[in-house]
Formats: sequence, structure tokens, C-alpha cells
Amino acid sequence: MDIEDLKKKIKKATSNKKSDFQNRGNAFGIAMRLGTEFVAAVFVASFIGFYLDKWLETTPFLMIIFFFIGAGTGILNVVRSSKMINKD
Amino acid sequence: MATNPMEQFEVKTIGPKIILGNIDISFTNSALFMVIVVTLITIFFTVSTQKKSLIPGKLQLLAEMIYEFVAKMISDTAGQDARPYFPFILTLFLFVLFSNMIGMIPYTFTVTSHIVVTFALAIVIFFGVTIIGFLKHGIKYLELFVPSGVPKLLLPLIIVIEVISYLSRPISLSVRLFANMMAGHTMLKVFGGFVVSLGLVGGWLPLGFSVALTGLEILVAFLQAYVFAILTCIYLNDALHLHH
Repeated sequence: MDIEDLKKKIKKATSNKKSDFQNRGNAFGIAMRLGTEFVAAVFVASFIGFYLDKWLETTPFLMIIFFFIGAGTGILNVVRSSKMINKD
Repeated sequence: MATNPMEQFEVKTIGPKIILGNIDISFTNSALFMVIVVTLITIFFTVSTQKKSLIPGKLQLLAEMIYEFVAKMISDTAGQDARPYFPFILTLFLFVLFSNMIGMIPYTFTVTSHIVVTFALAIVIFFGVTIIGFLKHGIKYLELFVPSGVPKLLLPLIIVIEVISYLSRPISLSVRLFANMMAGHTMLKVFGGFVVSLGLVGGWLPLGFSVALTGLEILVAFLQAYVFAILTCIYLNDALHLHH
């Protein structure tokens, strides 16, 4: 009986501690992701636009268009990442 | 006294200059610290798993904790199908973690504070995950770029957005790690410089900041390794289980 009680106590204590620490760590880690997620999409899209412009000789229109598409993609990325936080 | 906060990131050659064709492949301090990191990890795991006792000692417990931590991370984010990739993700996590942590020791070189290194890791993951996806699903893997329930009119735009989102993965993965490490180390160095230049009178405040920042940087070093590994798992999950 005694040992069972102790087991329960240990389980309760360890599970609380672990989840609290892990949650906080997770949230902080994911929060740090969001910034770069956005910037990377804009960067990649503008890069694609820049080289498409060079190739098709339509400077600067495609780059401008792709910049905005990239901004949209960045927002989508951020929304997706934050959805993942909420799911956890 | 070196006061330039960026000087710590300089890559210097050690020993003779070796040039192969057009490429300079001399041994640098960056390469030296990569070797140190790999050697340390190998020594740590060989020593800690030497005894294999049922009741683990401190070292064995640490090794088992790392193993279980990564195993749990993989099964939580990518499911059981991702088990075969466990060695790769463990290696990746340990490499990033150890290079971040060794970088925290004064006078060492932080390997992960260079975008070449982090981008090389990220691009390997990117191509690896893409190849796994195509091997597993064939040409159907391209359905990743076509989310379900999108009106036909919007489809071209959505596909472009999805492709850019997919291509931005290695960039965001590598830039995050590199920027965090570089910014943190520069900040530490700047505050360290303040301590010296303000001297005995005003140096105490930046010294306090330096101590606090060191603690924060150790947290960041761990978290960035964790985030790097968990994002690899998430990308792997996308490749293994095709659904959006």
C-alpha cells in the first residue's frame, strides 16, 4: 500500500514538472521560429523574381510581383507555425 | 585587447595551405572545432555506454536521457514511420548542440555561427527529405503543393505560394540557427568590451549583463539545437505522411 502511494506521488510530481518545463521550452522555441519563417519566404520569392526577370528581361516587374507573393507566403508560413503551437 | 566584436568569427587557416584545383581546402579553425565536436560526442558516448549497468551511473543516465529525448521527439512529431531516420536526427541534434555549447566556452570558435555550415546542414536535410518523399510517394509527392479544397481559379497562385514556402524551408532553417548564434556571441563580446572600457567605475553594470546574457545564451544554444532537430522531424513527417 505504502509503495503504491509513493509511486503515485512520484508520478504526479514528475509529470507536472516535466510538462511545465517542456511546454515553456517548446513555446519559446516556436516563438523564435516565426521571424525567420517570414523573412525567408520573402527572400526566396524575391530571389526567384530577380532571376526570372534576368532570364525573361522584364526587370523589375516580376521581382515586384514575387516580392508580394513572398510576403503572402511568409504570412502563410507564420500562420501555419502558430497553428502548430495551438495544436500542441 | 581585441575590441572588434566580429573578430571572433574570423576563419583562419591552421598549418599549411592546401589547394586542390581552384578550391582552398586548408585546415581552418572552423574545421578544427568540427573535429573537436565530433570527437567529443564520440568519446562521450563510448565512455558513458561502456558499463551498460542496469542501474545507470551519472554519465550513462545522461546518455540515456539524450537518447530518449530525441526518440520521444521523433515519435511525437513524425510518428513511428520515422524510426529508421533516428540515427541521422540524433547525430544532427548532437552536432548542433555540442557546437553551440562548445562555442559558449571563451576563446573557442562557434561552428554554427557561420551560415555556410548551417546552410550545408539545412540543404542536406532539404534534399534528403525531398528524395524520401519522392521515393515513398513517387510523383504523387507533388500533391504536397496542391492543398485540398482550393477553388480552381486560385490554384495557380496557391501552387506558386506552396512551392515558395517549400523552398524557403532550408533558408529559414539555416538562417535561424546562424543568426541566433552570431547575434548572441556578438552581443556577449560587445558587453564584454564595455566592461573593459568603463573600467572599475562603471564596468559593473555591463558585467552583470554579461553574466545574465551568458545564461540566456546557454538556453538559446540548447533551444536552437532542439528547434533544428524538431523542424527536421516536421519536414520528415510531411514527406512520410502526405497530408495538409
